[in-house]
Amino acid sequence: MNVFASILTIASWEVRKTLGTMGRSVLPLAVVLFLILIAVTGFTSQTGLHLQDGMYIAGVDDPDLADVIGSDPRFRIYQATPAALYRDRESYDVIIVGGDVYAPDTGKGRAAVKALRTDYDRYKNIVYSQQQDLFAAYPLWIDVQDIKSELDFVATQSGTRVAAPSRSRSPPVPEGPVAEIEAPDSGVDIPVEDLRTGLLESQDSDSEIYRYTDVFGQESPFGTFKTPHQLSPPLPFDSIILIFVFIFPLYFTSQFFMMSVMNERLERRGEILLSTPLSPWTIIAGKALPYFAGMIAITLVLTLWVGQSLSLLLPILPVILFFLASALIIGMVSRSFKELSFISIFFSTVATSYLFFPTIFANVHVISLVSPLTLVILEIQGEAFTVSQYFYSTSLFFLTSAVLLYVGVKNFKEERLFSHAGLLTRIREFVSEGVSRSHPYISVFAITALTVPFVFMVQMMLLVLFFNLPMPLSLVLLIVSAAFVEEVAKSIGLYTLLFNSERFASWKTVAIISAVTAAGFLFAEKLLLFVTLSQITESVFGSVLFLSLGVIWIPFLLHFATVALVGISLKLRGPQGYIPGLVAASVVHCLYNLYFIRGWFA
Amino acid sequence: MNARFIGLIMKKDLSGLLNEKTILLAILLQVFIAMFSSFLMVGLTTMYDPSALQGYSGVRYGIGYAGSEDSGLKTYLSESSQFRVFDMELSPAVAALKERKLSAVVYVPRTPPDGDEPVKITLYLVQNDIQSAIVNVKLKEIFLEYEEELRSLRSDRIELVPVALEFPGERSEGFYEFIYGLLIPLLLFMPAIISSALIIDLITEEYQRRTLETLVSTPMAITDIIWGKILACEVLVPIQAGAWLVLLGLNGIVVSHVLPVLLQVSASSMVLILVGALTALYYRERSTAQFVFSTAVVILILLALAFPNNPLNLVALLATGAPAAGSYAVLAGMIGLAVLLGILVTSYAKRSAKKTLSS
Repeated sequence: MNVFASILTIASWEVRKTLGTMGRSVLPLAVVLFLILIAVTGFTSQTGLHLQDGMYIAGVDDPDLADVIGSDPRFRIYQATPAALYRDRESYDVIIVGGDVYAPDTGKGRAAVKALRTDYDRYKNIVYSQQQDLFAAYPLWIDVQDIKSELDFVATQSGTRVAAPSRSRSPPVPEGPVAEIEAPDSGVDIPVEDLRTGLLESQDSDSEIYRYTDVFGQESPFGTFKTPHQLSPPLPFDSIILIFVFIFPLYFTSQFFMMSVMNERLERRGEILLSTPLSPWTIIAGKALPYFAGMIAITLVLTLWVGQSLSLLLPILPVILFFLASALIIGMVSRSFKELSFISIFFSTVATSYLFFPTIFANVHVISLVSPLTLVILEIQGEAFTVSQYFYSTSLFFLTSAVLLYVGVKNFKEERLFSHAGLLTRIREFVSEGVSRSHPYISVFAITALTVPFVFMVQMMLLVLFFNLPMPLSLVLLIVSAAFVEEVAKSIGLYTLLFNSERFASWKTVAIISAVTAAGFLFAEKLLLFVTLSQITESVFGSVLFLSLGVIWIPFLLHFATVALVGISLKLRGPQGYIPGLVAASVVHCLYNLYFIRGWFA
Repeated sequence: MNARFIGLIMKKDLSGLLNEKTILLAILLQVFIAMFSSFLMVGLTTMYDPSALQGYSGVRYGIGYAGSEDSGLKTYLSESSQFRVFDMELSPAVAALKERKLSAVVYVPRTPPDGDEPVKITLYLVQNDIQSAIVNVKLKEIFLEYEEELRSLRSDRIELVPVALEFPGERSEGFYEFIYGLLIPLLLFMPAIISSALIIDLITEEYQRRTLETLVSTPMAITDIIWGKILACEVLVPIQAGAWLVLLGLNGIVVSHVLPVLLQVSASSMVLILVGALTALYYRERSTAQFVFSTAVVILILLALAFPNNPLNLVALLATGAPAAGSYAVLAGMIGLAVLLGILVTSYAKRSAKKTLSS
């Protein structure tokens, strides 16, 4: 029988079975729930989120101040005479007496003043934008011109201060050619009434996100033309919400796939499928096909609905594959429903933060490109992404999905599916499936090489996470955690081999495995770097993660030594030796990194 | 209902959780969320005020200044300790900015400060650069000062004058509102979400593995089994929430009204858990129940947030030490709702057990 025909057959079984177990009533219910969700979201965004209502207690002596703070639900406002306010000042977070603001010097007092200040700015802007003579109230306008710097990628990530604060007192002289720039026109070419309506509208736009920080500001309705108030870089908030609309259904569909895989394992129902002459590839492809098609269809419909171009599908495709591949593995390793829930909640939160967090910085920093969703934001904002950007942000997703699918297919057989061992044991079993009996060392090489995309992914996540911390701290944390992640990945092959068979329990084999692991890791690391990430390797952060493309034998020695450390520890103390071995290896790795990056011991 | 049987089921499900150890993942997840959001805030704050960090104080950013010689803006820029201003022609200044030898370039036209036309400044910045974002924020303060000066020069043309307020001290960026108004409610309600997902798993699993029939054939009643599971999930909530309060306390974040906070969280999670139990009893199948329930929970939470005095709001208020007048009424309401749902769950479980036996 034709492979495609069997895939299609399994796919149609899958659809019928899923609809059968779920009952026919669920689909209309899902539609109804979705509609209610949209309605409630609309309602809540109208009323605003009432999370901090009444947080601050304010005392005022002037009823007119209601205009200023009355509209902010965060304040509970009481009116009293100045003397009474002063007497009971302990029971207020902020008091306003005779136009002067007083607050206790506590965290809450300062926060109340900050909130009041934002409200006051807002109130002032509303008053000013109603002036007859708008340019008397808004005498200063700023046209912001973005200049593309050629050094973009390399320089911005380096920890050194880029727009270098110079010590010299004479003006800097450009080295390159100077392009002639005409002095900008001093006139304003937007009609005054348009400016006025724009200003009023921007006061109404949702202020709740901007409560927490002043770094991001509202988008100016006039593009690059702004008042001093609108100068902060805008948060691509609308696009982020839009992306959430895209990702949410994908996440749920992958949940159904996960459950369908798990269902095959309940009461050994999957035995029927396994007893057919179909290969695991065919079965998995057939089972995944309806979900894959569904996800693509949902994305397509949403894309058309929001009126975007179909190229939006391109960056979402690797995300879909990644969700499906991980759903397969999670469905295959969990022992019980609650385990399935915990693992999938954990996985989806981590994956979502990896996908979402960088997109906040879409307008601020190139690091945001580690997430494919940033490409979606760029696309929505009307900037087409380039092929190299696409490669840069999606390659890790494609690679890790491929590896996960491969592992899933390899292990899709009776003794794995119906085993009831614990999570760690099962993962070890899954990995050991990749070890060939006749060529164990080649297998270790391959396993280690296949872990590299995951290591990169985790390290990227760490980079994004720590990148926000002040400089020396972020670098130290990154060095330590990156080393640890690498050591864990490298030890996987070794650990599996040592505990799977007595054959490998001699000193000689530990040495060989260490060498093979080191070679495998180095090979894949260099290959992947060469293909995708060379752009960021030259920065300080990059060099922590992906040190030295040049010399090969020094990193080889490092990898060999650290794996061997874990090996020795395992050999001497058995499974208890694993953690101490990892710690020792990470310490060595860190010292090595510190030595080479900063020459701290030179 | 029999208390001993309920206790037995509770023990069975809790020890199952402990054996699998995967609840560690759920706890790890909460730590992850806390870390992630705090990192985000700390990061944003240091971006706003890098001078708070050692090594950044006393740093001056180079600004290229072109155009009008006698502008008030130039005085403000030169007087600021944040910037070093260089008089330059526009073209070489922009070229130097491209090479990152400057942080920004400002062009100021010769518009008279008290003229009819606005002063339109052109600001050149490096695109997609975090440093640019910082310089941007610092320049904003200067521009605001200058705007104020221009406004006072043109004040005779302003007919609507806003109420004047004088604020103490500098603008400051703090974490208070973020921690008490967002992080604490979020962290304390995480256990509620986890527990209500858990009850669905526990109930549907007994149906789908067909172990419920075995359990029902013992002297235990279906209500004992269901309530054992519900209590197993409920008991996890105050434990996790309490652990969070201790951890926050160790970090110097003091939460007041600990007992009412825990009560509020426990009552709200009981409501969620009971809704979860009803969903699971109705569908008896995990993916459907989880799907319907999680969508419903998102709807419920969004809807609750649309109104003031919702449980999350009240927890935030209690935690800051200023409970609203309605706090305890809402708490009582939640407990009442939980009791109603409890009665509903009990009778529905009995009915569905009868149906199973007769079918």
